[in-house]
Amino acid sequence: MTTTRRSFIKSSGLALSYTLGAQTLLLSPAAARAKKLPLRRLDAAHAASLETLAEALVPGAREAGISHYIDSQLQREPEDSLLMIRYLGVADHHTFYVDGLKSIERQAKSRYRKSLAALKSQQTDELIGALAAGEVENWSGPPAGLFYFVVRADAADVVYGTPAGFERLDIPYMPHIAPSRPW
Amino acid sequence: MNAKVTSREKVDLLIVGSGAAASVFAAKAAQAGKQVLMLEAGPARGLQDLVSSQLWARRLKWGGAPVEEEGNLTLGHNFNSGWGTGGSSMHHYGVWPRLHPGDFRLRTDHGKGLDWPLQYRELRPYYDRIQEEVGLSGDAAAEKWRPPGSEYPLPALPVFPQGQAIAAGFKALGKHTAPIPLAINSRPYKNRRACIYDGWCDAGCPIGALANAQALYLPQARAAGGRILHRATVTRVLANKKGNKVIGVEYRDAEDRQQVQLADVVVLAAFAVQNPRLLLASANPAHPQGLANSSGLVGRYMMTHPATSIYGLFKQETQPHLGPTGGQLISQDGYDNKAAIKNAFGSYQWLIANALKPNDLLGIVNTRPDIFGRALEAFMQRASRSIGTMVFVGEDLPLAQNRITLSQHKDQYGVPLARAVHNIQAPTAALCEHAVAEGTAVFKAAGAEQVWQGPRFGMHIMGGTVMGTSADNSVTNRYGQCHDIDNLFIAGPGLFPSSGAVNPTFTLHALGLLAVEFMLREWGSIA
Ligand SMILES: Cc1cc2nc3c(=O)[nH]c(=O)nc-3n(C[C@H](O)[C@H](O)[C@H](O)COP(=O)(O)OP(=O)(O)OC[C@H]3O[C@@H](n4cnc5c(N)ncnc54)[C@H](O)[C@@H]3O)c2cc1C
Ligand code: SF4
Repeated sequence: MTTTRRSFIKSSGLALSYTLGAQTLLLSPAAARAKKLPLRRLDAAHAASLETLAEALVPGAREAGISHYIDSQLQREPEDSLLMIRYLGVADHHTFYVDGLKSIERQAKSRYRKSLAALKSQQTDELIGALAAGEVENWSGPPAGLFYFVVRADAADVVYGTPAGFERLDIPYMPHIAPSRPW
Repeated sequence: MNAKVTSREKVDLLIVGSGAAASVFAAKAAQAGKQVLMLEAGPARGLQDLVSSQLWARRLKWGGAPVEEEGNLTLGHNFNSGWGTGGSSMHHYGVWPRLHPGDFRLRTDHGKGLDWPLQYRELRPYYDRIQEEVGLSGDAAAEKWRPPGSEYPLPALPVFPQGQAIAAGFKALGKHTAPIPLAINSRPYKNRRACIYDGWCDAGCPIGALANAQALYLPQARAAGGRILHRATVTRVLANKKGNKVIGVEYRDAEDRQQVQLADVVVLAAFAVQNPRLLLASANPAHPQGLANSSGLVGRYMMTHPATSIYGLFKQETQPHLGPTGGQLISQDGYDNKAAIKNAFGSYQWLIANALKPNDLLGIVNTRPDIFGRALEAFMQRASRSIGTMVFVGEDLPLAQNRITLSQHKDQYGVPLARAVHNIQAPTAALCEHAVAEGTAVFKAAGAEQVWQGPRFGMHIMGGTVMGTSADNSVTNRYGQCHDIDNLFIAGPGLFPSSGAVNPTFTLHALGLLAVEFMLREWGSIA
């Protein structure tokens, strides 16, 4: 791979449109996060829970901009969404995430009397293990195992599913058409 | 919602959908001089839009009305269906084996399911002709199970380290593998380019190496004057008062206006779930239980191939990112003996060494959904070098109770949603369990250090408007022509009375060619 191509791939990442005022910006979710662009569909508390959970599932997800990625996709019509959830027969994507995030915070509170973000890493892992196995009491969101699966897959999308993610695994990206533009 | 209805100039042939089946009808009919119009619910998309990314690939998936699903092996409609120019064929993997002669005689040979209204030998010439037009790559001699057929026009694609590693396991157990017959060019063919083995088939092959609808038959249709109207969702098929002819369809256009398109002949090629939904939703006084449904069989005999992936980590590097997504090798040992396994029933095949990308439902990360955190990073590093996979594809029995009905809920246009119920019975589940044990043994024999399996899922969708000999046992005749209405045809895998255990798209092309030639021959009496 030539230096030019390598740097091209690094910069292209996953480019999505974000609106700031009247301006439309073409940014990766990581850049949108670094610029602290406002979220539109997730509030600050949901975004904090999502980042904590996603980071614990797939290290690197926070910095890769998981909240901005999900938030941007939730602003779209389902047919334009890039989220994996569109395969999984869930009708209302926004409710799925928000209810799941609320539920996991409730779990953290009832098990450890702390917010998800304040848990020790062993506690987070225990909670995630229970979530994955669907062994959560008083859970009122989407099925716990499905919620785990979807957020983990989303986090993997932003961490591994881009040219930068392939590079992290040292897999050649070899695009026919590089994902450098919104579709 | 805008209720104003406008009526469009009549066309000869109106096709609902622009996917695999539609493309064959459109190309051949347009070339024969018919005025052809395809109405496609999804957006216009060209090969240049097929971005190489497992994220962008999701835009190719179904984006229309949701389908309510239920059962112990759901059809997985949203995963298994496409949307926009070329339909599901745009993200299909080009694995094109033929059905076997025994697949056409399930009821005669085993007293189960349904027979086809034609035999393999009658479909064979159409397989051979499609194969020549499309340019299949393969090695006929190596497929010792292959039904009679002419040689492949192109040599097989190469086998990469992943395929070699797994093939060693089959060999060690006295089993056979052969290159997969692929609708992918191993060499340039008829102005289409050769594959470069980069594993992006799921995101759509933009170079025309893989025979999706936009690589071949849609361009032919357009060149002969055929047209596609996008963002045109057909909501109802219209019949005359007597109910013995269709006169056209109602659809919603891109501006949400209700339109009527008149036509001499209508082909429903909206895939296996939406075709029966449309027929059921088009009930009228002459067809009170749904259009062309005097048999009561519209929506019944839905099938999906039960499938399970086997995974292993090998000592050696397997380069899993290389090769076509559909796999490199195939094994159909024992395919023809459907009753070989105690308490089980059905044929099966292995598709071996699928190219894997890191993310997405079928990506490396989801092969082990139980791993998270730091352990996941370590797994990803190792697996992206040395993982191997193959997928079992099993036969699904056609059961009348597996069906599409209309839901209580409606879509934005007021059309009831499809409700899909699909369950497998004990003999099919036993077949799956047998295969998983066999696959695990193969991977162990191949020297894999860790072996595990994925969940059972439904691959491909078939049935729902099955063909047969009369309205007692089917919705259409062997040409997909509805028993009740001469000028209404159905195309696609929804016609299959049994599923066999092979991927359906080669067969639906062969059936499409048979049907469109019949339609053109008989045009005077049909239209
Ligand atoms: C990931 C994946 C991989 C696959 N790989 C293989 C493979 O390797 N080999 C193989 O044999 N098969 C494969 N398949 C299956 C293959 O794609 C289908 O069998 C084939 O495309 C079906 O053809 P069709 O024309 O019936 O439907 P489609 O190709 O899906 O076309 C139907 C079209 O109708 C449109 N439509 C639906 N409803 C309406 C409406 N109301 N009005 C207007 N338009 C409508 C849809 O938008 C769609 O474009 C694969 C499928 C998937 C999902
Ligand atoms: S592997 Fe071959 S067929 Fe698949 S996308 Fe690449 S070039 Fe096309």
